Amino acid sequence: MSQLFLQAQPQLNFWNGLNGTTGLWIKILIGLALGVGLIFALMSAPTQTRRPIVAFVTFISGLFYVLYFFFPRPIDRQPGELPLDFVESVSFYIDDAFGVVTDFTAILSGLLLGLGIYSLLHVHVKRIIKAHQNWFFSVVLLVSMFMMTIVGYWDWITRRGEAGASLDDPANWSAINYTKDLMFDGLLQAMDAAMFSIIAFYILSAAYRAFRVRSVEATILLATALIVILSLMGAVEFLWNGMIDGMTGKDPGSVVNNLKLTEISKWLRDTVQGAAIRGIDFGVGIGALAMGLRLWLSLERGTGGGN
Amino acid sequence: MSLGEKLMSIPKWVLYLILIVVASVPLFIKIPVPNTPLEPAIDLYGTLMNIPEGSTVLIASDWTKSTRGESNGHFDALMKILMRKKIKACIYSSGDPQAPQVARDAIGVLNMERKAKGLPPYQRWNDWITVGYFPNAEACANAIANNVRVAFGGKTDYTPEGTSRDVFQSPVLKDIRKVSDFKLMMVITASKTSNITIERVYGKGVDLAMMVTGVMGPESLPYYSSGQLKGLAVGLKGVYDLEQMLESGITPGMSAKWGTVPGFPGDSNIGNGTRYYPTLHFCLTLLILAVIVGNVGMALSRKKAA
Amino acid sequence: MLSQVSSWRGEQYLDTGWVPPAFTLLLCIWVLLNIRRAGTGKDLFIRRIAGLNAIDEAVGRATEMGKPVLMVPGLSDTVNAIVVQALNIFSYVARIAARFSNPILVCCYSAPIFTVGQEVIRDVYNEEGLGDKFDPDSVRFISDRQFAFAAGVSGILLREKAAATFFMGEFYAESLIFAETANSIGAIQIASSTESTQTPFFIAACDYVLIGDEFYAASAYLTRQPVLVGSLVGQDWCKLTVALTVLIGVLANTIQLGPGSHKMITQEKRDAKFVNVEGGPRPITPDDTFMSQLFRKQSDPELVIERPIDPTFVPPADGGGE
Repeated sequence: MSQLFLQAQPQLNFWNGLNGTTGLWIKILIGLALGVGLIFALMSAPTQTRRPIVAFVTFISGLFYVLYFFFPRPIDRQPGELPLDFVESVSFYIDDAFGVVTDFTAILSGLLLGLGIYSLLHVHVKRIIKAHQNWFFSVVLLVSMFMMTIVGYWDWITRRGEAGASLDDPANWSAINYTKDLMFDGLLQAMDAAMFSIIAFYILSAAYRAFRVRSVEATILLATALIVILSLMGAVEFLWNGMIDGMTGKDPGSVVNNLKLTEISKWLRDTVQGAAIRGIDFGVGIGALAMGLRLWLSLERGTGGGN
Repeated sequence: MSLGEKLMSIPKWVLYLILIVVASVPLFIKIPVPNTPLEPAIDLYGTLMNIPEGSTVLIASDWTKSTRGESNGHFDALMKILMRKKIKACIYSSGDPQAPQVARDAIGVLNMERKAKGLPPYQRWNDWITVGYFPNAEACANAIANNVRVAFGGKTDYTPEGTSRDVFQSPVLKDIRKVSDFKLMMVITASKTSNITIERVYGKGVDLAMMVTGVMGPESLPYYSSGQLKGLAVGLKGVYDLEQMLESGITPGMSAKWGTVPGFPGDSNIGNGTRYYPTLHFCLTLLILAVIVGNVGMALSRKKAA
Repeated sequence: MLSQVSSWRGEQYLDTGWVPPAFTLLLCIWVLLNIRRAGTGKDLFIRRIAGLNAIDEAVGRATEMGKPVLMVPGLSDTVNAIVVQALNIFSYVARIAARFSNPILVCCYSAPIFTVGQEVIRDVYNEEGLGDKFDPDSVRFISDRQFAFAAGVSGILLREKAAATFFMGEFYAESLIFAETANSIGAIQIASSTESTQTPFFIAACDYVLIGDEFYAASAYLTRQPVLVGSLVGQDWCKLTVALTVLIGVLANTIQLGPGSHKMITQEKRDAKFVNVEGGPRPITPDDTFMSQLFRKQSDPELVIERPIDPTFVPPADGGGE
C-alpha cells in the first residue's frame, strides 16, 4: 500500500499522532496552516479555474461514496487480516477509509457551528453598532449566547472527576449546576416546547378553514380525516367497536367486523395512505438521486457548478 | 352578517381561547379513558419484553423537550422496561445537539423515582452509557451499520468514580463488535433520522424498532407493514398503549402472535400518556366540532345565497 | 469454509445482494441517457405545474402592494441537493422580483446556506444589470435552531407584512407555523416540503403546493435547460421502472400466494441456502416468495475467507474502539 494512503490504516503513521503529545499538536498546526494557505490560494485563483477546481473536488468527494457502494466489499473481514489480491487491497482501503471520511464530515459539521456563531455575531453586532430597529433584541441574543456558553462549560468542568459522579443527584448541585439547569431546562427547553405547542392552535385554525365540503375531493379528504381523528380517540374506538361487537355477538368471523373503527382506520392507513406515501417517497427519492447525480457530475448550472 | 357567515368566519382568537379552556379541563377533572393498544405498539412491547436480561440495546435518542408530550413518554416507557429487565443501553444522538442532555436528564428523573422506591439506580457506565452527539446523521448511521467500533471509536463516558474512559471498556459495550451484536436498535425521534436509520441499518442483522411522534407515524407505518420494523409506537396514543401494557401486559385476545406477556402491575407506570390522553380527546373533539361548525356555516351561506 | 469465492463478488453482491446496486445503476442510466437525449435538441414535454405558474402572479401581486417577497429555503444544516434545488427556484423568483424592483427577503437556517444564498441572489441581480440594487441584508441568517428559526421568520412575516411567501425545501414541525402566520397577514403562499409528513400542513394552509418530486421538477420547468428537462424525463423513466417492478411483484406474489397456487412448501431459504423444511411441508408465507427473496439478501454464516494475518497487528486490549 502506498505511503500516501496509510492514513486509512488504523495505526500510528505520518498522518496521525498519539493523543496529547507535542507531535500531534505540531501536525495539527501544520495542517491548519496548509489549510488556510490553500483557502487563500483558491481565493486568488483565476476565475476561469474555479469551476474546474470545484467540479474536480466535488467529483472526488462523491466518488468515494459511489465506490463504497459499488466496489466489491471484503467478505467476512476480521481485524488484522491482510488482503488476498489487488481487488481486496482496494476494498480494504475503501473500508478503512470510511471511518476517516466519516470523521471528515463530522469535522466539517463542527466547522459549520463555528461559521454559525461567526455569522450570528457579525449580523447582530452590526445591528447594535448601527442602532437598527429593535437592536435591543440583538443585545439579548448575544448576552444569552455568551451566558449559555460560559455556564454550560463551567457546569461541564464541575462534572469531571470524582466529584462529578455525585452530581447525578440534584441534592449535590452547586449554584452553577442550578443555573445551567435553569437556563437549559427552564428556559431553552421550555421555550422550544412553547413554540411547538403553538402548532396546536394553528392546527385548529387551519382545520377549521381547510376542511370544508367544497368539492368531491375535499369531501373525501374531510371524511378520511374525521375517521383518522376518531381512531386516535380511545374512548370513541371503544364505543364504536363495542357497538359492532354487540351487533355481531363478538363473532370473529363476521364480515361486519370490518366496520370497526380500528379496521377502517387500519385499512385507510395501510392501503390508501401507505400506498400514497410510498409513491411520493419513490418520487422524492428518485428526484434526490437525479439531483445528486447532476451535482456530482457538475451538470447543474447556477448554484452548484455554474457561473 | 348572516348566521352562516358568522359560523364560517369565527375569529381565530375565539378558537384559540376555546382551545385553551377545553385543554385545561382534564387538569381539574380526572377522566379514565378506555383504550385498546394498536398492533404496532403491542409488537413493540412484546419485542422489548423478549430481550434477554443482560443484553445491550442501542438507542438513538433524537428528541428534545419540544416533543416531550410524546417522545418523553416514549423514552420513559422504554427506559422503565430496560431498567426493570436489567437490559443495558447505549445511547447516541444524531438529530439534535440538545438530545444527549435531555436523555441524561430523563434517566436522572427515572433514577430519582427508583431511589424513592428503594431500588438501585440505573447506573451510568455499568448499565447505560451515552456516546454523545454525531452531527451528520447519514454518516453516523452508515458508520454504525458497517463498523460500530469505528463509529463510536474514541468516544468516552464517565465511570461511577468520575473518570473518563473509552466506551468499549464499559460493561455495556465490551462485547459489541458489530451492530448485529445489539439485541435491538431503537430510534426515538421526531425527525427524519428514522428514515435515515432504516435506509442504512436495516438488513445488517439487528432488529429495528421505533418510537415516533404522531406526525412521523404515517411515514413510518409502511416500514412496519413491510416487516422492516419489529414494533412501532406512534404519538401520544403509542405512549398510552405502552403505559397500559406496562401495567397489565399483553393479555390473551390482544395479539395472536404474542399470547400472554407479563407487565409490571402496581409499579410506577403512569406517565405522560395517561396524563395527556384525556386532553387529546378533548382537543380532537373540539377540532371535529370546529370543522362541523365551519361546514354548517358554509351550507347555511350557500342556502341563503341560493 | 469456502476460500475459493472470487473477491470480485463482494460482500454486498452475495446471494441476491446484486439486485439493489443493479437497480440503482439502471435508474442512473435512465437519468444520464435522457440528459444526453435532451442535449441533442429533442423537445421534451413537461406537464403544467400550477404552483410554478403562480410564481409570476405572486411576485406581481407583491409589487402592486409594495410589499416584499419572502423566501425560506428550508431547514437543512448543510448545502445539500434540496437546498440547491430551493435556491435554483428562488433565483428565478429573485430575477422576477429584481425586474419589478420588488424587495426580497431570504431567511436562511444555517450559515453555509446564508453564504451560498447571498452569492446566488447577488449573481442574479448582477446578471440582470441591477447589481447596485442588491441589498445584502435581504438575505439573512436567522438561527440554526428549529423553533428559534420559526419564531424569527414569523416575526419577520408579521413586521414586514410580506405579500408573497415561498417555503421550499426541508420543513418539519414549523411548517404550519410559517404557513398560518403568512395566512394571517394575507400573503399568497407557494410551498413545497420534501418531508411527505409536512405536505398535508402546507396543503391545508397554503395557496399552491408542490407535492413530492414536483419540487425537483421545478427548476426544469422554470428554466427549460436541456440538462434539467432531460433529467426530469429520466426521473419519469425511473418511476415507470419502479411501477413495472411493483406490477411484476404483484403478479408474482399473486401466482405464488393467490388461489390456485401450491400453498405448501418443502424447501425454504435459510442462511442464503435452500434447505428442506424442518418437520415436513408447511404453508408458504410472504417471506418465501420470489420477490421477497429477491429484495432481501441473506448472509451465509459458514462463508469464511482465510486470509493471512498481519504480523504487526495487535488486537485491542479488553474492548477499545478501532
